[in-house]
Amino acid sequence: MNCLQTEENFSAHYEDMLDYKTLQRFEMHMTDCGACQKEYAEFIESVKVSQLLPQVEPSSSFHSKLQQRLSEEPREKITFWQRIQLILNTPKLAFGVVMLLILATAGTVIYQNNLFSPDTQPNDGIDYITTSDPQSPFDNNNLLQPRGFDSVDPFTFFSTQPMQQHYILKQVSYTTASTAGGL
Amino acid sequence: MSELDDELMQRFQKGDEEAFNLIVRRHQQPLINFIARFTGDKDNAEDLAQETFIRMYKAANRYKPGRAQFKTWMYFIAKNLCKNEMRNRGRRDRYRVDNIITEDNSNNENGDEIDLIASAPADVSFQPEVAIERKELNNAIHDAITELPEQYRFPLILRDIQGLSYDEISKILELRSGTTKSRINRARLMLKDKLKPYMEML
Repeated sequence: MNCLQTEENFSAHYEDMLDYKTLQRFEMHMTDCGACQKEYAEFIESVKVSQLLPQVEPSSSFHSKLQQRLSEEPREKITFWQRIQLILNTPKLAFGVVMLLILATAGTVIYQNNLFSPDTQPNDGIDYITTSDPQSPFDNNNLLQPRGFDSVDPFTFFSTQPMQQHYILKQVSYTTASTAGGL
Repeated sequence: MSELDDELMQRFQKGDEEAFNLIVRRHQQPLINFIARFTGDKDNAEDLAQETFIRMYKAANRYKPGRAQFKTWMYFIAKNLCKNEMRNRGRRDRYRVDNIITEDNSNNENGDEIDLIASAPADVSFQPEVAIERKELNNAIHDAITELPEQYRFPLILRDIQGLSYDEISKILELRSGTTKSRINRARLMLKDKLKPYMEML
């Protein structure tokens, strides 16, 4: 560390903010350099005296004058949106509002899609197997023990509608399908 | 301290005018001190401090507690007003109160002495010549600070006279932390050079 670099670290050393390596290099230079020792001593003295400068106090009439001026000044009106912003600025409230919005959105989506309604099943030309179907994997006498399945969607069991959850895809006849120029 | 300021601001936002009075009483002295040390003019410092409080009063509803520290906000407004003031002065002769300290106690016969005792080092027993030296030194320090370039004067005053943290200063001056530190160091080195003739008095 040279004299210039040492000088750059005066404040950091004075305020005990140097890291260990820099501190070692700083101290090493200071031990050998008389000029830097003198400069640093003066540096510390000047910082200390500037910190001891007397505080400038307000005059006795300051507060009354200010009060008078304030009484003449109109305050900015707060708008509705500014009030909302102020509310949102509080972290807990903001979190609560965001959670509420998420819940409301999720609720709306679920309601609109009727995701929990058993009446709404896909009607896309697919043949559904009912519970009376002998090929059904379910045993009608023991709904809790589906045939050949380890687990089944529990919703199926509590539905009042006939079992319609399991379906097989229609076989597509490739002989009638349009080849649109191909094959 | 900042929590109390935030609480007072929130009360004021809800319509409690007395809360703003308390804010003024809590911060008027450091604010005037800051402006006076920067501009070198006590009377003008009071005007600028009033202007700062008025701006805060008018814009209080836009203050967001927690996001910006109250003190940072206040000094930020004051700093901008100081900058404008210095710009407006332009080439006008700078009126400067040479002795800000003694003017505070102009109504007190022994005001100077009392103030000088308070500002003298504790181990020095009061002697007129010591007091005069101290007064001279204070004037020299004050002059040296006001002669510093603006970009160094602001951080030095905020750090060494107002006692703000580096983080707060960086926010007020809109500087990076490293820049703030190097400017404060540079300002202190400049001050040291300016005070060299007075080193024997220190």
